[in-house]
Amino acid sequence: MDIIKEIYDAVMEGQVDQASSRVQQALNSKVEVNHILNRGLIAAMDVVGEKFGEGELFIPQVLWSAKAMQAGMELLRPHFSSTDRTEKGTVVIGTAKGDIHDIGKNLVAIMIEGSGFKVADLGVDVTPERFIEKAVEVKADVIAMSALLTTTMPSMGEVVSLIKAKRLPFKVIIGGAPVDQAFCQEIGADAYGMDAADGLRKIKGLLGH
Amino acid sequence: MNLQVSREDLLKQIGYRQPPQPKLLDMVDKMLALLVNLIEPRLAFKDIQGENDLPPFLIGAVLKYTGAATLGPKLENKVKDLFDEGKPAEAYILDTSGSIAITEAGGILWEKIRQDAASKGFKKGLRRTPGCRGIEIETQQWIFERLADPELGIKLTESCMMVPRKSLSFLARFGGKLIGTFSCKGCPQQRDCTLRG
Repeated sequence: MDIIKEIYDAVMEGQVDQASSRVQQALNSKVEVNHILNRGLIAAMDVVGEKFGEGELFIPQVLWSAKAMQAGMELLRPHFSSTDRTEKGTVVIGTAKGDIHDIGKNLVAIMIEGSGFKVADLGVDVTPERFIEKAVEVKADVIAMSALLTTTMPSMGEVVSLIKAKRLPFKVIIGGAPVDQAFCQEIGADAYGMDAADGLRKIKGLLGH
Repeated sequence: MNLQVSREDLLKQIGYRQPPQPKLLDMVDKMLALLVNLIEPRLAFKDIQGENDLPPFLIGAVLKYTGAATLGPKLENKVKDLFDEGKPAEAYILDTSGSIAITEAGGILWEKIRQDAASKGFKKGLRRTPGCRGIEIETQQWIFERLADPELGIKLTESCMMVPRKSLSFLARFGGKLIGTFSCKGCPQQRDCTLRG
């Protein structure tokens, strides 16, 4: 079987060891690194994301695939030159100020990372100022925030206000159970992710992928 | 308190309507076995009497209660460990099983309060959680001042979130006329509300 197809299948099936061994095999066989990345790892992860969004796959399977993708990426990373941009973009992620519920945020972070983005995870209860500070530090493309309760949602608006006041280039995506498109528009965020798959799709859209 | 989380309920909560692959079933069974040793369920409730400074939801009620339940801190510590160890699927499954368990604990707590109310002649009651429509999240402070039970082990953050996170609390009322709007019907958050279980 074509080695790229084997890598693709390993990521699709969430086979971490298989993904690593096939990527290593491809590298040993002098297959071009970008070919392995784009046609094997990223192509598979894109399909996993689509199938998740369509309800064909569920979170555990997506997490396995993301891990398989990351395992392959680790092997590829040393082969990129310092000027290559291997990541699709940088996302700063955290839960809104006052909110300590991080399971959803953690899953989204893993899925974003598994899809080829660099992720700076600030954890829980993140102040608006801290979001901005970190985004400036890592030259982020996107700030992603989640809230589980209505009471912690308002601080998301403060992040958007700070970005506008300082004329910073960051896009903002928000998510979490009580958040919706109307709230997104109300605070002037760039996108609302209905779930992890939708969030990932919107982040890609914001960055033109 | 004996809490039971079934494999079927857990799979349903994760989203599976059909039996998943054996690898996942094996993981689900392992996490359910782990859950049993990680939860330390506790609950407490109090019949509120002779107080004038009441949260709006309790005003006008004949019987008034506060209640809370928790699974203890071990579960979420393990979930964090699993994430840190690079086992997010296991972490997610274990956390989800905890969510089912704390919902069940809430049901047991509610049943105990209903039994207490029934012994005083009241059958029908209402319960609402702080953060719901008409009940400020700061009501948590009022609740936990009255449930001051070190054995319960629930603490509040500055933003009135409960720690351990797999905890719940509510106000309950029986009899009398409800004054104000607390119904989930018509609440803008009804569709996505995480407090309705």
